[in-house]
Amino acid sequence: MSNLIFVPEGLVVAGAVVLVLMARVWRRPRWWLPTAVAALALIALLFELWVGATLASFFGGAYVQDRFALFAKSAVLLAAALAIAVTDWSDEEAPTIGMAMILLAAFGVMVVASAGDFVGLWAGLEIAGATAVVIISSRRTDLGLRLLVMGGVASGLVLIGLAFVYATVGSADLPAVRRDMGFEGATLPLAIAVFVLVGGLAVRAGIPPFQFARVPISLGASPLGAGVVIGLVAAAALTVAVKIAGALTPLPAVFAPYLMVIAAVAMVGGGAAALATRSPRVRLAYLAAGQVGWVAAGLATHYRSGLGASLFLLGAFALAATTGPALMAGADVGEFALAGMGVLRPARAAGIALVFLSLAGAPPLAGFFGEFAVAAAVAQGGNFWLLLLGLLGAVMSLAAAIGTVRAIYLQSPPDESRRGAGARLPVLTRLSTLGAVALCVAIAGYGVFANPIISLADQGAEALGLR
Amino acid sequence: MIFAGIAAASPSPAAVPGAGIFTSPLILSLTIWVPVIVAIAMHAVPNPRGRYDTLMKQIAFFTNLGLVFVLFIAYNQFQTYLPTMQFEEKLPWLPSIGVTYHLGVDGPSMTMMVLSGIIGITSVLASWGVRERVRPYFSLLLLTQAAVNGAIVAHDMFVLVLFWGAVIIPIALLVLGWGGARREAATWRLVGYWGFGTAALVVAVMAAYAATGGRSFDMDVLLKATLTPRVQLAIGVALVIAAATRLPLFPLHGWARDVYSEAPLGVTIVVAGTASRLGAYLLLRALVAADHDAAHLLSPFIAALAALTIAYAAVAALRSPDLRWAAARLAMVPGGFTVFGLAALTPIAIAGSALSIFTGGLAAALIVAAAWTLTERAQTRSMQLLSGLAPRMPILTWVLVLAALALLGVPLMASFPAEAMIFFGAFQSQPVGGFAVAAGLALTAVALAAVVHRVLFGQPNHDAPAVSDASLGETWYLGVLAGALLWVGLFPGGPKLPGTDQPIFDPGLVNIMAAGITDIASPYVKPAPAAAAQ
Repeated sequence: MSNLIFVPEGLVVAGAVVLVLMARVWRRPRWWLPTAVAALALIALLFELWVGATLASFFGGAYVQDRFALFAKSAVLLAAALAIAVTDWSDEEAPTIGMAMILLAAFGVMVVASAGDFVGLWAGLEIAGATAVVIISSRRTDLGLRLLVMGGVASGLVLIGLAFVYATVGSADLPAVRRDMGFEGATLPLAIAVFVLVGGLAVRAGIPPFQFARVPISLGASPLGAGVVIGLVAAAALTVAVKIAGALTPLPAVFAPYLMVIAAVAMVGGGAAALATRSPRVRLAYLAAGQVGWVAAGLATHYRSGLGASLFLLGAFALAATTGPALMAGADVGEFALAGMGVLRPARAAGIALVFLSLAGAPPLAGFFGEFAVAAAVAQGGNFWLLLLGLLGAVMSLAAAIGTVRAIYLQSPPDESRRGAGARLPVLTRLSTLGAVALCVAIAGYGVFANPIISLADQGAEALGLR
Repeated sequence: MIFAGIAAASPSPAAVPGAGIFTSPLILSLTIWVPVIVAIAMHAVPNPRGRYDTLMKQIAFFTNLGLVFVLFIAYNQFQTYLPTMQFEEKLPWLPSIGVTYHLGVDGPSMTMMVLSGIIGITSVLASWGVRERVRPYFSLLLLTQAAVNGAIVAHDMFVLVLFWGAVIIPIALLVLGWGGARREAATWRLVGYWGFGTAALVVAVMAAYAATGGRSFDMDVLLKATLTPRVQLAIGVALVIAAATRLPLFPLHGWARDVYSEAPLGVTIVVAGTASRLGAYLLLRALVAADHDAAHLLSPFIAALAALTIAYAAVAALRSPDLRWAAARLAMVPGGFTVFGLAALTPIAIAGSALSIFTGGLAAALIVAAAWTLTERAQTRSMQLLSGLAPRMPILTWVLVLAALALLGVPLMASFPAEAMIFFGAFQSQPVGGFAVAAGLALTAVALAAVVHRVLFGQPNHDAPAVSDASLGETWYLGVLAGALLWVGLFPGGPKLPGTDQPIFDPGLVNIMAAGITDIASPYVKPAPAAAAQ
């Protein structure tokens, strides 16, 4: 059985390579291609669920298959499959390359999820980041360049941070780092190294106040590109953060304060900015940033319950943030772009509404369950100030999401003559409708049937060595 | 198998009409999830150019009627001699953090469920005139109903927070989509205040969770744990803030005027009737029943808030230039009474408060519904123009007068026994507060007299637009509210079949309400003087 563990990764990478080759042959993809690629991602997901429960370690511990990896890979494969299904491919400049890149971005997160050392973490993060640059560049080269520079800065910070931690601890192996942390004191060099590392991850995730690239990209990129940046790349950064937090848990003083500050700024800043903006895509980006803050708050607790809750929320986040921009398709201008969507595209509209509400933490959707679990962990840690700030951000996020839902369901559709490039209606296909319905079921079912999911997330936290 | 579990014949012999027809281990879940499923189904059904608008309204109505039927069954099968939770459902939900899907009702919550059933039917009847986007309107109305029911029957704090927060979204969308000219302001105020209140509730729940070792959110664990007075006080303050934003209480009442006057009528009835009553219910369930030390410490402040709320509402109503605004202010009065009874912390006052949640919900809904309908029929909301309408609006005159009497708690109205119990109990423990609330009641009487006299019995204003009396449809929903107030006022033990001692609704609302109160109020029973002397 352990030989089959690489099948999901193999399927995803092989699919991406084939797609890149196909892009050389076909200028426009065949109609069946999105269905085939979404099916491939789903098959990889099913394989992951089937064989991923086997605990195994390869390459001298550099690649680990445990419950954490199972959870993170399943979440990201589901997000990728649904994003491919709901994307309006007529609105993408390079659809075949786009499909290849989202598979590679998912592969990047899978590498991070299974990484047993710093090299795997860094490599997975870079793969996810690089795919985002490729997709963004296909529409706007300037934005691709901006993302490349930002990614370079983030990558440099992460690399320096990891190198300093390695230099301080003497090992790049995550279990070894965790073991050695028990003997290390909270020294200043280690604190600086972790500060640089956490800063790099925050820049990569694009959370406030490091949203220099994220917001313009949210506005100017193709829907799929925005989904990869807001969702998958941030999910990769967060997965690295979860693994690092798991390894550093014996010395919480070196990372928890930074994470708390980052969480507080992201939760409040994300909510406030989401309330202030009118563009649905930018609003979604800020709502996602707010939820990233909640994930960071869970990590800052440095308890198993907190990390488990963060992982549980990370799954909900990846699902909503990756698919959200793809669902909205060309609606990257004002709220009127979504006006009347509830009448014109009911399944897609329901998906958009649930994505916004879930990212805002509205009950009874996936985001609410995750944020509540994190809040419970934060309260157990006694950080009520952080909980209060998070709730403040959540109230603002909820108001912002209600504004968008209002536009979708309560405003009349604009005249066709007023529909510009930024308000184009997505093309209706069977796959997109099916994908939107499946997304709705996933976001609603994530909370309602949370018992097995959060149990798996909890086992994932346990797999990081937390008791 | 599932359906067999949902609807199985009761094995017990039918002692009273209604009992034994039907029983279900999921009876409370039905009251939550049936409206949700119907709402989703309604939303999914195509309705090209409003072709099936009437059908949508009928579906919403019959769904509510079905809920009332289920509640009727639950009401009849409720055991008044048991102080414990009944119809309990318990399933693990998020076991790693101690969340269970735990539902149950005791006397006060069963009473609130009856209120929710009445208000649900009334709100659909009051929404019959909605013509724009009928399908989403009634879907959202059903979702609101489901969320309110969920908050009432929740016996796990997570479930309570979930439904307490979930109420906000459909109501906000209803106000935003179908409200009056100031609907934007009304919505954002509602979201702001209720969101703030939800945040306060989450803080209270999390503080209790952390203080009890982070094992469970079940009310049986959280509310029965022994906490230090300091922790209790922190939790109590957060609970009071949560309740004050929802009920509303002065000074956290900023949403009430705009929402009650700008929301569509059906929504106004739900908000005034049940959604806002959840605030008082929270204080009863989580503060009075659980945090006894905090309740004692905070009782003078809560009593002061209650007195201020009543006085403020009366003065603001007197100064209102708009009849709907005046009604919105007056709808705050029953909440003040309810909270004052809870602050008194005597068994009789607590029992009065539990009944007052029911009667206050009906009275508040009736006053805002009467004012809303009257202003629609008179084609103006201005108090300058509304004058001397009684001869031309006999039905609405009766309804407005009944609403005023219900707010004041005069005999024969359901609010009379509630207010009487509150005052009897409160003067034992909160004499100063009692006098303050009585003074507020006097001010309310003045305000009501002034409003009723001016609008109904003053000199007719010939510059005012033409008026007409309530239509048959309007009479229905107003009649249901007024009838329910009179029902409990005239037959507090339940109406009886003519010529028999057999009650139609056994065991009677007051008996139902009293079940569970003994348990809640037992820590506040003072020892008898003889026993104290020994």
